[in-house]
This record gives sequence, structure tokens and C-alpha cells, in this order.
Amino acid sequence: MSDRDVLIVGGGPAGLSAALSAAQGGLRVALVDEHTELGGQYFKRRHPAVVARHGDFRPAGTRLVTAVRQAGVDCLTGHLVWGVADDGATLLVAGPDGAPHALRARFTVLATGAHERVLPFPGWQLPGVVTAGLALHLATIDRVPVGRRVLLAGTGPFLLPVACALLEVGVRVVGVAEANHPYRLGRHAAASLRYPARLRELAGYLATLVRHRVPVWQDTYVLSASGPDRLRQVTLGGRHAGTVEADVLCVGHGFRPNVELARLLGCETRPDPVVGEPVPVADVVGRTSRPDVYVVGEAAGIAGVHAARARGQAAALDILARTGRAVPPARQRRVHARVRRLARFAALTEALFPPPLHLLDGIPDDTEVCRCEQVSAGEIRATAGLAHNGLNATKGFTRAGMGLCQGRECGTAVACLTRAANPHAPAEAFTARMPVRPVPVTALGVPPRHAAGADRGRPAGGGTPGGEVVR
Amino acid sequence: MSRHTADVVVIGAGILGAAAAHYLSRAGQRVVVFDRGAPNREGSGTTAGNLHIQAIHPSRPGQEVPADNGRFLPLQVAVSDMWESVELELEASVELRRHGGFMIAETPHEYAELRAKQAMEAAAGLPTELLDGDAARAALPLLSRTVVGATWCALDGYANPLKITPAYLASARRHGAQIHGYTPVTGIAATRSGWRVTAGGDTYDAPAVINVAGPWIAQVARLAGIRLRMTPVAIQMHVTPRMPETMRHLVQHIGEGMSVKQVTAGNVLIGGGWPALRLDLDGRSVASVRSAGGNLALAARVLPFLSGVRLLRVWAGPLAATPDELPVIGEVPGAPGFFVAGGTYAFTLAPLWGETLCRLVAGESPRVQVSDLGPDRLLIDTQSDELDLVANQERALEGAVRDSVQQGSTRRKEQA
Repeated sequence: MSDRDVLIVGGGPAGLSAALSAAQGGLRVALVDEHTELGGQYFKRRHPAVVARHGDFRPAGTRLVTAVRQAGVDCLTGHLVWGVADDGATLLVAGPDGAPHALRARFTVLATGAHERVLPFPGWQLPGVVTAGLALHLATIDRVPVGRRVLLAGTGPFLLPVACALLEVGVRVVGVAEANHPYRLGRHAAASLRYPARLRELAGYLATLVRHRVPVWQDTYVLSASGPDRLRQVTLGGRHAGTVEADVLCVGHGFRPNVELARLLGCETRPDPVVGEPVPVADVVGRTSRPDVYVVGEAAGIAGVHAARARGQAAALDILARTGRAVPPARQRRVHARVRRLARFAALTEALFPPPLHLLDGIPDDTEVCRCEQVSAGEIRATAGLAHNGLNATKGFTRAGMGLCQGRECGTAVACLTRAANPHAPAEAFTARMPVRPVPVTALGVPPRHAAGADRGRPAGGGTPGGEVVR
Repeated sequence: MSRHTADVVVIGAGILGAAAAHYLSRAGQRVVVFDRGAPNREGSGTTAGNLHIQAIHPSRPGQEVPADNGRFLPLQVAVSDMWESVELELEASVELRRHGGFMIAETPHEYAELRAKQAMEAAAGLPTELLDGDAARAALPLLSRTVVGATWCALDGYANPLKITPAYLASARRHGAQIHGYTPVTGIAATRSGWRVTAGGDTYDAPAVINVAGPWIAQVARLAGIRLRMTPVAIQMHVTPRMPETMRHLVQHIGEGMSVKQVTAGNVLIGGGWPALRLDLDGRSVASVRSAGGNLALAARVLPFLSGVRLLRVWAGPLAATPDELPVIGEVPGAPGFFVAGGTYAFTLAPLWGETLCRLVAGESPRVQVSDLGPDRLLIDTQSDELDLVANQERALEGAVRDSVQQGSTRRKEQA
């Protein structure tokens, strides 16, 4: 399997850009993605039937995917990279049928993207409360409105395009509650003048919202969501405190890099200064502490699609240069400058939209925080409050973060609640363990049941176990 | 630096330290417990949670010296009753399940081993039953056709490792014990009347010290000038997502490393002492994918429904093994008031070891005879060349752990 030069994990904007540049430069490239279509979240593909009625979604993505395939990149879709073999370098992969595969190349580029971050509040588990990302997916990819009267809440510039996409499919957007106060004149606004293209984008979204009379409530956040069996009403706190009737609430508190594979590969990480979650240490071209591993795109730090594409390209050019291909220095310098410039813009955005972690101090003890294992804020606080319990000890005792999602959804909240209840505990992250996502045991080489049965006569009779419990 | 006094200083807040603190503080002793990190985060919190009452299978994968499983039996018989009352005693749920367990055989040789084991259990007064393959499958239809026999013990069970140690610690705290996490012990010195322990910059004078530091037991003993022949190793566990109740029993293998059970939450835990890739005493030990594949394939061969499940997570944790694979418990000769306890199967034996340590500290005799399990057999004479020998052995053991996966797979091929 090591006849490949570059193995790229993740077929979003960063992975695709890296694949394209590397393949065009003459390298043998494989691109692995767990989804059946390339594109990642940003360049997600529409079903042909939807394309026929509504046209293509983000044609730039279609062009990029086509170019990658035409450049001869070996695209393994439907393949989940779930771990790292005992040699510390070979990536372990589950095929679409759960079959085991192992992939190795001279260089590995991790373009694993990001997870949506949602901070819990009372009622967030009610039907009708969804992530902003799901609402956007339904509106743009499936052209389905997520609800009739929809409120958006959380923080981040991402809420604005989601609101606009909802308007486009006929949703009545009752408001956008932004926990921070980013949209005003000030030091940051002045600094953002240096990024006219990004400002034009933002202004376009805001203009659409104004045209549809969608209010943007700044310094305003969700206190609770309620309803008899599904969402009926949202109580807001902050500057525009009050109650809002809505059948759907879309929440998003930004994104966090998906770093599990980087951690399993032993790449050095540092704690993110605001939240304390591990982020990989990488330079401008995405080189990590491991000379053969790069991390690009949102996995290297949240910076948006343009930065993701530039970082993917920068990594590919660096690999080309390291493998003796001629790369014009001017081209490399240009890409590096673009990566740095977009990183500065990302820093600006980060400063304007910090995740409102202080809201977690106010959530009542009976708020469910870990939804997989149904663990409340009070249980987490009480356990962490025993002074010797840090994050992982609290996880162990309460089961918070031990469920199907392995803490992807509640991790930020559990860490913050633990830290608040026990400020003396050392800074910890959940331990990086395999598999990064549940995989069929067949992916570890366990023979499938029919094969085992054929070997040894009839399969054991009796209890036929049902499926897993999925909440 | 301030100076404190205590009746007993316990080093290590794993299950043994927690159980000892519970019994001691309940008996009125002033107890101080130290742990280098959070309590229950190492071997005790990463173990499988099995309550092994029927005789143990003598070898985990990679283990060079088979354990004398007959020596464990009186301990297992005694501890079985103690587990029965543990939830009442601690006023806490520890998800105790006593649904019994099977130890299975897949070859005629293994079946003969089961037969001998069952006779030994009967002689020790432990009720177990020997079943042939069909009888075993009638009792547990999930077992595969490869099973040629099993022993059944109704007393085998499970307790949640993440609940029992905190429950012991909570009880100890209610009885006045102090528990200091993130407070490594940095010095242990003999005084005229006992020991002076330095931890967190403070000193604690106590007539008795209990070293139950698990993987760090030899390191801690060394602070007191005592050299113990004990070696930390890392083994690993595997867990599926929650499933509807599918099996109520513990299933083990007499010839290979395998233990499978479904826990209260519905997850199926699959273990068997397979070696982890890397022991890391400063961080988290790293699991081996080869061990995972071997352990899961073995489990799915014996319980075919497991070939259709998903793997949620693999983790690794340390344990401290003695060269003879027997537990160690007792006072160190020549170091009055310095007690150690540890070795494999400490989870099952914890209630007994907690009580035994309490009685030994008070100068009383324990409920079962343990004098042959004392640390004297593990002491290294610091004057001799044995130290070099031990260093060599430790290196060799590391190599053995690495090789054992290979050996395991070779053995399976031979059997196939």
C-alpha cells in the first residue's frame, strides 16, 4: 500500500485542494472520505433529482471534485479511517461493507474538518432543537425547510448564511440571537476593513436579513427551550430578553477542529486558549510535529473555506518540494501569504465570536449535558466538585462522554463544567482512543458471521441479539 | 511545609487503597490517602470489573508463569460473600450483578483442564458444575459449536469499576478519612515510632504505611529503601455500544485470554488480558490493534453474535504483576508498619484485601490465611547482584509482552 506518495483523509475543500495540487504536481495521491460523495460539508453534493429542479449547489465544489478525479487521484469514498495500526503510521480503514483495509503512504495529510459546537441549555434535547448545520444541510442540499417559524441562536458568522438559506426555502425566520456583540463599529470592525471580500459576504447576508425584516439580536442568548412534546417556545436572556414562539430552534456555538486522528498519530497538540481543547501544532504549510503528517483545513484550526483551500494547497506544494518536484518559490510564497492573511482574519473572527462558555455557569443542575448517556449538569458538578476529580475522572464516574458520540457533542460542556466545579484539577482532554467512530468488528479482521458459520457448521442457535440502543 | 500525624497513611487511591481506607476509617483509625493523580484512574478504573469466583484460568496472553489457581480458591470463596453485602455496607449502588459465569473449553485438552479445575473447586467447597458442549449450549445458546464443555459457577459476576472505588472512598470520607488526589508521595523515611511520609510538600507521621500503588508499587517501596520484584504491564479492554440485554453471564475461556459480559448499561465488555501496545506510566497506555483483533476474533469464535456488533472503544490500563503471578499482601520483613498489597485479580479480591490490611495493621489475624502471600518472596537483596538480574528480567518481560501477540496468533493457528 506504500506505493502512494500522499494519503489524504477527508474530501472537503482542504483535502480536495491538497489532492488536486499534489496530483497535478505528479504525485500518486489517494483521497479517503467516509461519505459516499466527495465535497465535505461545504461542498456537499445535491442528489441529481434536486440538481435537476434547483440547479447545482456551489458549482465551485463540483468543478473541484471533477478536477480531482480527472487528475488521477484514487478516491476511496465510503471508507472510514478509524484508527492507527501498531506501527504508528498505517491508517486503518473500514470499507463500506465493514471490511478491513490498511492504507499507508509516504505522507499523510489530515483534512478531517470540524465538529459543530453546541453548548447545552435546558430543553436542548427537545425535538425541534437542531444544529445550525443540520438546518443548512436540509435547506441547501435537500431544499427542505427545517420548520415553519424558526429561531437561530448561538454565536458566529455561520448563523447568517444559515438564516439566509432558510429564507430561500420559505422559512419564516423569527430572529437571530447572537450571544456576542460583533456587528458594530469598533476596533475589530476597523481591522476587518482589510478583508473587503469577507466583509462583502457578511454585508450581503445582513442585507438579505434586513430585506426580510429578520432581527439580529446581539448580546442575546437562549436561556431555555420548552414545549409539551416538542419545541414551542424559547426563552431568551441578555439584551433582548423575552420569549419567542418557534417550532424549530437552530443552535450553533461555532466549530471545533476534528483532531482525533492527529492525536492518535501522536502529533503534538496545544490547548486552545479559549476552550482548552487540544488543537494540533502546525506551521503555515500544515506540518505537524511528525515529519510525515500534515494537518490542513478546519482540522488545523477554524478559519473557513478559503483558508481551508489555501492550506490544502500549501501542504501539497510543500510535499512536492520535499519530493524533489520543481515548485516555483514565488507560487509557494503567494500561497503562504494567503494562508497567513486568512489566518489573521480567522483570529479576528475568533475574537469577535468567542464561545459564550460563561453561559454554562448558569444552566440549572437538571439540564441534560451528555445526551448519549443522559448525564445532567448537576451530576457532573457534584462529581467534579470532589476536589480530586478532573475531567477524565468525572467522565468515568458519571459516564458523561462515554456514549455513542464519545464526547464529540458534550465534550466542551463537560470540560467547562468540570473546570468550574474544580478549578484545581489539571487541564485535561478526553483521552484519544480508537476507533474514532464506532466500527463493525469485522473492520478489525473478525470474520463476518456467515463466514464463521460456514467454517464450523451451523451458527449457534438461540438468542438473536437485536440492534444497538440508539437515542 | 506543615507536619501532620495520622494512624495510617495509604498510598494509592485505587480499589485496594479505597477498600483499605474504608475498613480502617470505619474501625476508627485516622486515615490519610494519597494518589499521584485522580483516584481510580489507573488499573482499578480501567479493569474489566469481573468478579472471578470460579477458579481463574492460569494464563493471560503473554504470561510466562502460569498462576497457581488453586491458591486463589480460598480467597475467592471468602471474598464472594463479601461482595454480596458490599452495596449495603457502602450505601451505594455499584451495579453489582451476580448472574453467574461460564468458563469454556474448545479442545479435549482444555476440557480435561476444566474437569480437573472442577474437582479442585469441589474440594475447596466452591459449588461449580461441569457441562459438556451441548449442555453448555442448552444453558447459554449464544455459545458456538466450537465449545466442547464449560464449567458453570453461579457466583461469578460483575461490579462497575467506575463505581466501586468512589463508593469505598465516599464511605472512608464519611468516616473521617482524608483523600488527597494529585499529591504524589515524594519521600518515605523510617522514624523511631513508625514512618514519615512526605507528600504535597507536607509531612505525615504515622505508625503504619500501606503501599497499594498498583503499577507504581515498586517505585513507592523504593522511596522507603525497599526493593520489590514487581513489574507493571499494560493490558487492554474493548467495549461495544449499548445493546438490548443479550447475555446475563460472564463467559471466559480456560485456554486463552477471553472474558465477555454485558454490563448494566447494555454495553458488552470484551477483555482477557491481551497486552497493550505500550505501557505509559506518565500518560495513558496505548492499546494495540493486533491485540484488539485477536481478542475480538476469539470472542466472536466463542460467541458468534459478536461478529455482528460494533466496536465503540478500546482502552488500555496498567497492572502490577508478581513474578509468580500470585497476589502479594502483608508487612515487609524488616520494615515494621510498612504493608504492601497488590498483584493481579486485585479487583475481585479488593473487599478481602481491604479488610485483611485493616486487620494486619491492628495486629489481628485475617479471615483467611495469607502468610504465604507476604512480600518476603518479592524482596530483592540490595547487596546482591540480583538488581542487575531484575533489570534484565524487566527488559526481557517487555520483549515478551511484544512477542505475546505473535505467540497468541500462532497458537490459534495451531489449534485451527
